Amino acid sequence: MKHLRLIGMIAINFVREQRWPILVLQLSVLGLAALGLLSDARDREDILITFKQLGMYGVAFSVFFGGSAIYNERRSRRILAVLGKAITRRDYLSGLLLGVALAAALFSLMLGFTGTWILCPLGFSFFYLWHLMECVVAACVMSAAVALFFSTHLNPWMSALLTGLTLGMPGALAFRFGGFWEYILPLYSLGRVFLNASFEHPGTVAGWVIPAAMIEAVILWLAASWIFDKIDVAVAVD
Amino acid sequence: MPAVLEFQDIIKDYRALFRRRTVRALDHFTLQVEEGEIFGFLGPNGAGKTTAIHLAMGFVRPTKGRGLMFGKRFGHAATRCRVGFLAENVALYHRSAENLVRFYGALNGLHGETLSRRTAEALDTVSLLHESNRNVAKFSRGMLQRIGLAQAIVHDPDLLILDEPTSALDPLARYAVREMLLDWRRRGKTIFLSSHLLSEVELVCDRIAVLNLGRVVRLGRPSDLLESREHFEVIASGIPMDGFPGAEKQPDGRIRFLASAAAQRAMIERIWTMGGEIVSVSPHKRSLEDLFLELTGSPGSERGSTQEAS
Repeated sequence: MKHLRLIGMIAINFVREQRWPILVLQLSVLGLAALGLLSDARDREDILITFKQLGMYGVAFSVFFGGSAIYNERRSRRILAVLGKAITRRDYLSGLLLGVALAAALFSLMLGFTGTWILCPLGFSFFYLWHLMECVVAACVMSAAVALFFSTHLNPWMSALLTGLTLGMPGALAFRFGGFWEYILPLYSLGRVFLNASFEHPGTVAGWVIPAAMIEAVILWLAASWIFDKIDVAVAVD
Repeated sequence: MPAVLEFQDIIKDYRALFRRRTVRALDHFTLQVEEGEIFGFLGPNGAGKTTAIHLAMGFVRPTKGRGLMFGKRFGHAATRCRVGFLAENVALYHRSAENLVRFYGALNGLHGETLSRRTAEALDTVSLLHESNRNVAKFSRGMLQRIGLAQAIVHDPDLLILDEPTSALDPLARYAVREMLLDWRRRGKTIFLSSHLLSEVELVCDRIAVLNLGRVVRLGRPSDLLESREHFEVIASGIPMDGFPGAEKQPDGRIRFLASAAAQRAMIERIWTMGGEIVSVSPHKRSLEDLFLELTGSPGSERGSTQEAS
């Protein structure tokens, strides 16, 4: 219980510290709402494309948040005051990951409500819209876990580069061979459903893809915790 | 007295990724801090003081050796509940002073009424209670150091580890911190104080360690360290100045000079032979600055043991 409380505090603190980028993301979703209000039914495909784009921005921001979270804290040396308290490095890392997940959930909720308001009246299925939001949250959390894993020992640029490669490689293999590869870091599988969704054929993701993404995020979190526990946090990573 | 903090033959090397150069920050570093004392930790820049503190807090891991804090290995999270830490360069989140201290107090397990009371007490101790609603981003450097101190003491720790706690403070605030440290010692708390302010260390510390090139080069009580056994100060009257090298005349007409321990007896006999009178012979007391310079070399030189990795 004590651990959960500490993790929650770190997560909320992370969201508070990242409030401006999160706010910008939320405002971009409100921009979609404005676009919906100004358009007529003939533009509905354009609105759906914007909606998909925003979903992908959410994933990109999660990589950015995950990849820079530890780096920023180490560089500013604020990490010392936090880890100088009765908190384990694993709890600290869990808090950061939960913070990114909270930011992704806030974004997806906003996107989901805006989609319900704008897309559903134009004929998009309410059920599938929220299923797509599930896919976005899963993709965000998994991508952030990969970025967080690399950011324990690399700077944000290297971390983002390797995150892209790590997520892209299984995606390319899944695209070429399908099957088993669809479940390995399944950003491709989650993204495909999201990007292929249309008013006529909303589509769903295969049953085990979202649980597989969550399990892999947990494995990455454990690996990141193990590495983070070994390194010197008072030394810059540049 | 049980040891609160123990460094046991610790080596700490820093090596950058993809680089061959290794910097040895601590070299077979051994030290014990006992319960209830104010321990002064001195050394020039690059001597390894901050590395030793970061090891104790679990921020960095030793290359070799081990350390214990309250009997637990360095880095044991639950033990840090009993420790208050103030870093050399205070870096804190930007929010109101009260919310900031509450946040750090809560991280150490305080909550509810206790957290509120302890937050107010900590802010009051560092004279920032009237600024509790102000964002720390707008604080001066001295105020930041004080709020840093507040977050270190909010949970009433048994051990305070302070890295340069008064470097940005004005004399009045520095005096207040010194009084606070003495009060904490009276309450049985232990304080590990790293500082460049030698006069301050001399005033409050029970024991001092001087660190150079990652090793402890001198350890002991200030009175023992500052009293020289090699030189004695002789004050005499009724003798001419020119017979004693380095002698100086005091306002009351007496002659004062330093004699080495080996020459002390001969000098006394010489004064008697000349018909003079010996007023006092006492061990020569150096200043802490003299001792510091003697142990760490020429003033102003930057240190750090750099070795090429094999």
